Amino acid sequence: MTWQGRLLHIHIAPAASYEMEELAEAQLIAGRGIVGDRYFLGTGTYSPKPDVREVTLIEVEVLEAMAKGQPKIPGFKAELAPEDHRRNLTTRGVPLGHLVGKRFRVGDTILRAARMNFPCRYIEELLGMPGLYEGLLNRSGLNCTIEFGGIIRPGDPILPMDE
Amino acid sequence: MASPRIIMKLKVVATRKEPGDVLVVELQHPRKPLLPAFEPGSHVDVHLSDGRVRQYSLCGDPADLSRYTIAVKREPEGRGGSTWLHAAVCVGAELPVSAPRNHFPLKQGNWPVLLLAGGIGITPLLAMAGVLNRQGKPFELHYFTRGRAVAPFLAVIEQVVDRSKLRLHFDDDPETRQDIEALLSTRPSDAQVYYCGPPGFMAAIARASEHWPEGSVHFEAFQPALLDDAPPEPFTIILRNGTEIFVPADTSALSAIRAAGVLLMASCENGVCGTCECGFLEGQPIHRDAVLSKDARSHRFMPCVSRATGVLRLDL
Ligand code: FES
Repeated sequence: MTWQGRLLHIHIAPAASYEMEELAEAQLIAGRGIVGDRYFLGTGTYSPKPDVREVTLIEVEVLEAMAKGQPKIPGFKAELAPEDHRRNLTTRGVPLGHLVGKRFRVGDTILRAARMNFPCRYIEELLGMPGLYEGLLNRSGLNCTIEFGGIIRPGDPILPMDE
Repeated sequence: MASPRIIMKLKVVATRKEPGDVLVVELQHPRKPLLPAFEPGSHVDVHLSDGRVRQYSLCGDPADLSRYTIAVKREPEGRGGSTWLHAAVCVGAELPVSAPRNHFPLKQGNWPVLLLAGGIGITPLLAMAGVLNRQGKPFELHYFTRGRAVAPFLAVIEQVVDRSKLRLHFDDDPETRQDIEALLSTRPSDAQVYYCGPPGFMAAIARASEHWPEGSVHFEAFQPALLDDAPPEPFTIILRNGTEIFVPADTSALSAIRAAGVLLMASCENGVCGTCECGFLEGQPIHRDAVLSKDARSHRFMPCVSRATGVLRLDL
């Protein structure tokens, strides 16, 4: 697969429901998460099941399409700012949907894509945007584990890895 | 269940003292010029450093979203939240604050409105009075305190509310005292009453307005209702899927439900915020909250404080 993407934004939230904060630099710890983020701190989810949300990613292309009202969901158009979508990394030019089960690089770090994220009604209520759940179905990003940690910054290249 | 709200880390941009040991705190968003909109009567949850959560009404002008204003009365006998805030809050500090929620909305209409405030209970009513005043709607604000010297926001009220609509009642000034029974004995046609204040004041108004029709009396409590003295008895909860949960006498229904692995949001755990609200389908609850209306009590339940006799079937 030949593509090359870029990291646009890094966001973390210290606990569930907290507003996301943008970082100019983040530290990824293998097997754990982004330092300071709710999934790193273990304050992110009430659900006791083991989870793979050490890092979550979303495509800026999805946010741009939604802001234009694509696809058409009657009465729904959402301008989601990067801090609103509650994913950690906003990417451009990365085919997130093709990466499930594969490894890829973000800057010097290596992530393994575990599963497509499933949207949750919670975000719709949290942001007061009815319809957002439907709007994000099948494109609410990618949940990853960190195989190789390190520092990442907005602007870092995102590259596929040969398996 | 009440919906979740986004929590923002707001900056304290100003503080000042008001009479009656009240700390007024002004908050701004560190990165955004405007905060989420609110209505008069709305409150925010303030998250304390030890994980406790407290509710405070927004007492500023809903038209000014550049800042939120809350007022915290120091209650040395309370559960510790107000003492902590008085000690810890200073300009530049950061406080985790939820987006506003309104359990105490002002109904739209042209009927006469009676606003009754006891002491620090003035906070939600101050925002209401400001809006009604600006809209030129008929209203009267009655403010009850122990004395002029301990009445928070008096200067602000006198500035915001038209003199002809303001009635001040001070315990230490016989000239101004007002009998609540007498005040509410007759109901001007269509009138709506809104009240907020300490538990004794809440109870007095609840009694005095008992003959007012359902739907014309609105209140918000920030402390739990005065509890009956009956010792709590154990009871059993049954969930929709048939799960039976035993609630021992010394455990709240909320903790028992959570211990059984059911996710239930809560915030005040004191029966005043409405976060943990759920429905019940069958059974005899003992309501101990201060949020549910008479109507709602027939089918809603607040598991953080309320109990039941025997078996309660919850809509969970
Ligand atoms: S948690 Fe506030 S009413 Fe139950």
